[in-house]
Amino acid sequence: MSQIVLSLGFGLVTASILALGAVGFTLQFGVTNLFNLAFGETMTVSAFVAYLAMVSLHWNLWWAMAAGGAAGMVLSLLISRLVYLPFLRRGTSQFAMVMVTVAVSFILKNVLQIFSGATYYSYQLPPERPIRILGMVFDARQLTIIGLAAASLLGLHLLFKYTRLGKAMRATSDNGPLARSVGIPTDRVVSAAWLLSGLFAGIAGVALAVDLGTFGSTTGGSYLLPIVAAAVFGSVGEPYGAVLGALVIGLASEVAANYDPQLKDVVAFAILVLVLLLRPDGLRAGRVQMRAEVTA
Amino acid sequence: MSAFLSYAATLLVYLGVNTIACWGLNLQFGVGGVMNFAFILYQAMGAYITAVLTLPAAATQVDERYILGWHLPWPLPLAGAAVAGAALALAVGSFALRPARRDFQATVMLVVSIIAATLVTSEQGWFNGSQGLFGIPQPFAASLGLGIDGYYWFFVAVTAGAALVALLGTDLITSSPWARKLRAMRENADAAAALGVNVRAESIKAYVIGGAIAAVSGGLLVEFIGAWSPAAWGTGETFIFFVAIIVGGLGNNFGAFLGAFLVLGVFLELPTYLPQFASANTEESLQSAAIGVLILAFLWFRPQGIFPERRRRLSRLVPAGVTEPVVTQPTVVQSAATESAALVRDRPQEQRGPAGAVPRTQAPAAAATRAPSARLAVSELRRGFGGVNAVDRLSFELVPGQATGLIGPNGAGKSTALKLIAGAIAPAGGQVLVDGTDVTGQPAYKMARLGVIRTFQHTSEFAKLTVLENLIAAAPEQPGGTLGGALLGRRHARARQQELLGEAWALLADFQLTSLADTYAGRLSGGQRRLVEIMRSLMARPRILLLDEPMAGVNPTLRLTIEEHMKRLRDGGLTMLMVEHELGSVERVCDSVIVMAQGKLLATGTMAELRGNQEVVSAYLAG
Amino acid sequence: MRISLGKAGRPGADGGAGTGTGTAAALTVTGLAAGYGDTPTIADVDLTVGRGEIVTVLGPNGAGKSTLLKAVLGHLRPMAGSVLLGDRELTGLRSDQVCRLSVGYVPQVNDTFPRLTVLENIEMGGYTLARSVMKARLEEVTELYPQLRRLASRQGGHLSGGERKIVAIARAMMISPALLVLDEPTAGLAPRPADELLTEHIAALAGTGVSLLMVEQRAREALAISHRAYVMAAGRVVLSDRAELLLARPDLGEVFLGRAVPG
Repeated sequence: MSQIVLSLGFGLVTASILALGAVGFTLQFGVTNLFNLAFGETMTVSAFVAYLAMVSLHWNLWWAMAAGGAAGMVLSLLISRLVYLPFLRRGTSQFAMVMVTVAVSFILKNVLQIFSGATYYSYQLPPERPIRILGMVFDARQLTIIGLAAASLLGLHLLFKYTRLGKAMRATSDNGPLARSVGIPTDRVVSAAWLLSGLFAGIAGVALAVDLGTFGSTTGGSYLLPIVAAAVFGSVGEPYGAVLGALVIGLASEVAANYDPQLKDVVAFAILVLVLLLRPDGLRAGRVQMRAEVTA
Repeated sequence: MSAFLSYAATLLVYLGVNTIACWGLNLQFGVGGVMNFAFILYQAMGAYITAVLTLPAAATQVDERYILGWHLPWPLPLAGAAVAGAALALAVGSFALRPARRDFQATVMLVVSIIAATLVTSEQGWFNGSQGLFGIPQPFAASLGLGIDGYYWFFVAVTAGAALVALLGTDLITSSPWARKLRAMRENADAAAALGVNVRAESIKAYVIGGAIAAVSGGLLVEFIGAWSPAAWGTGETFIFFVAIIVGGLGNNFGAFLGAFLVLGVFLELPTYLPQFASANTEESLQSAAIGVLILAFLWFRPQGIFPERRRRLSRLVPAGVTEPVVTQPTVVQSAATESAALVRDRPQEQRGPAGAVPRTQAPAAAATRAPSARLAVSELRRGFGGVNAVDRLSFELVPGQATGLIGPNGAGKSTALKLIAGAIAPAGGQVLVDGTDVTGQPAYKMARLGVIRTFQHTSEFAKLTVLENLIAAAPEQPGGTLGGALLGRRHARARQQELLGEAWALLADFQLTSLADTYAGRLSGGQRRLVEIMRSLMARPRILLLDEPMAGVNPTLRLTIEEHMKRLRDGGLTMLMVEHELGSVERVCDSVIVMAQGKLLATGTMAELRGNQEVVSAYLAG
Repeated sequence: MRISLGKAGRPGADGGAGTGTGTAAALTVTGLAAGYGDTPTIADVDLTVGRGEIVTVLGPNGAGKSTLLKAVLGHLRPMAGSVLLGDRELTGLRSDQVCRLSVGYVPQVNDTFPRLTVLENIEMGGYTLARSVMKARLEEVTELYPQLRRLASRQGGHLSGGERKIVAIARAMMISPALLVLDEPTAGLAPRPADELLTEHIAALAGTGVSLLMVEQRAREALAISHRAYVMAAGRVVLSDRAELLLARPDLGEVFLGRAVPG
């Protein structure tokens, strides 16, 4: 039993990081309707930027994480403006856009490889004293990450619920044409969504690198698996659902890892398959019902 | 010299293997529209299974652990690879192909290949984890005693043979009526379903075959190289294959070969000839990044690839002398039937007919050989959307062999009623009966196979198929129209194809559109597309034809042409239900009319009767 | 701007063309032609909406009513003719530009943000307003439709059809538009809510000073609350008159059921 409680603790850390990633991925999909498969690489780039900040500029971890977040924002915005938007404006089909995002991820991954080589890197953070809370064991860094994730998600919630921009993002995600006709500058809202998603990717990327201990040019790409699983859990495009998915997957995979460390990723995958078998178009299922057929 | 020859041989083997793989991916993606982002997984599966079927049970190397190890003679391991590839595709396809969005499917498949790589690397006992398998004996290497160089060329011959078989197979498939169904699905899945295609099943079939082909290519590769490890199959390899077939040209085998040659062959080999300016790692990464830039450039400037899918000009295959209808006698009889029918039914409008009507001569052969008219009845049909009852306890029965109009103000639920009958939407309650049999809730493709054919409110042509292909794709009972039938060869399908070409041509002649026979349907004007849609629904051998606003956006002259055809169908005994706002058309074509308002049936009768019906008039004015 | 309360809002007895509260008419459409593709769906359309008037456009399906609205709102580029809002040129402007010029729009479908609350839906209508103005407007609009208070925290997707329309109208009214355009507001509604929508909620707008251009299927009820109306068929205006006169015509129904219109 104590083992399980212990793994719940690990699960919270995993869930926090996953929540950041999944929410970033899903909220951008909600607003832009695009599966950005370069999301993982954005995380990786941010992890590297943080590394550079720590090694060259001797910043501490948290400032480096901020730098990573900033890098994620900039990269996301650049990609969307320079690559995605031009293709979208041309009327590129949905599946061709997937190829575009995969191409971007491929380019990013390989450019990273040119600079980083095939080696793995580490922030080489000093080990810390364990802190015991309710039978779970954390170190200060992990608690900070959990706190950061909670704060970020809370901040996002406040943004969505109380600010003009946040409501505009929800409106655009809900009904783009109506949002436009009400005077919402959907172009700017879309840019804001990319920036936000990039920020979350950045923070998640650095946090992931901290949690894993080492990271390389492929780290972010492989993280796409649990991110997509968490996003699909709550129906892609729904940030609150993604948080729930992250919690479920994070906790479940750590508990399973108790019995067999290999099971970590398998759990995320199994949940993904289950959701697809039960609710294949969980994508905005509620929204489809809204469209009353009121023509003839 | 010898080094060069063995290098050349290696290149040829790789070219052969890559081409086979590209043909498999082309079948899945180019023809079927399935974005298999787990492609490399199938090649890897084939390689691994071939390896563990070839290797003996006892590991020859120290610390090499793997499953099976049956030491089977060639070519059984390759056959095993094909089976394994197919089985894996079936398993993955069962959940990955469930979402309707193709980009979602692609994402799921990408994620599958990620987890697979993780599992294979971590589970030592499966395929020896990250170290991979090695020391796999090459087939016949020992027995032939050819020496290294000689063996290389032997393997080139083997690969060439395999490629030939693959080419014959994929060519057979991609030029079959079944492939036409796949292409139709690729263009517009809903329209294909409405014409009887079980989209999910056919997608899975294409996926499975592609998976098997990819697996065989992997098997050949591992037999040549003698080793295989996770390093050989990352998600990047899938991407490169996609780049190859897109650059080469989607949808056709030559394009796939060209892609394999240019991208996988030339482009990837090029760096070896350039002076080395950085570490091997850096050069490889640069090359990969360049591939990413290459595909972006192609998607921007030339998305159809270097060698695009060629238009299939079927018009030259149309049997000669088809412009005359095949059966003349019945049409004469039919005209008489029309006359007497006109006398029996009181149809003053018929005589009044539009001035300057274009004289119609003969009925198409298709209309002459129609199945007996079916009976359609709906009972207490119900369906709501967001709290509004779009269709509210609707009940009516169509007179078989007659044309019935379905009119009513906006929001009356007419289109919804049609979709419920056709199986495009599921009813919340009530029944749909065809010839007395309860078919409520059957999906669209099953209803289509029963003969219930629906046209769409917004045109739904298969854009990248020619007009003739659009028409033929709709016809049921094509021996080459299933996977099995396709494999039986062209001769098996030929007779029926010729028949269908004749029918389609006659239909085109009737609508005076033969000049558009080989034009891509997506290039037609709005009115022409509407006509193609109507012709296509006729080719589907409807026993009950449901028309959803066929006159929408159609100019008056065209309207008359369509009306004439509908009249002929009606006289030929086809049961028709037509939702239409053009009340003039309804009056001229339909024998009786049903009026709906607010989801309910309001009245039935002829247009004249309805005009005098105060309730109906109120409904139109009251909405 | 004070909004008169209550359900009154019936048009004044002298509802003639261009009632003289202001100088220029709110909307002037002249010789408008528009369509999709090469040939125009509507042509030679002349239409005016006076200040504070309720004008309805009627006609059978395919008559071009929604094409007319789209051309006015900037969803379609007109092929000929002009559209003036007051004395400002609307012709050829895009939909978000039109909105900023004080035109409110209630579409036929997809008229709400399903996952936003009613309050948020209405707030979105005031997106272009300054914060200080927003609160005041919100109060005024809620006074216009008091039932919105009760629905404030309900999600847009959980409303009945009638309730959604009220929310949509309230949203459109947030910018105090000079012109409010409604596309078949009663479409998909059952008779009672449809009746209520027209005779109470939409009629109530007449007292607020906004000019209304409405396409409707429920001809009789719409005419009962309108000042004037136009009947379109086959892309042209075939009848135009004061609402009560059109209502009194015995052959109105036949126009809808396809008979040609004499004179």
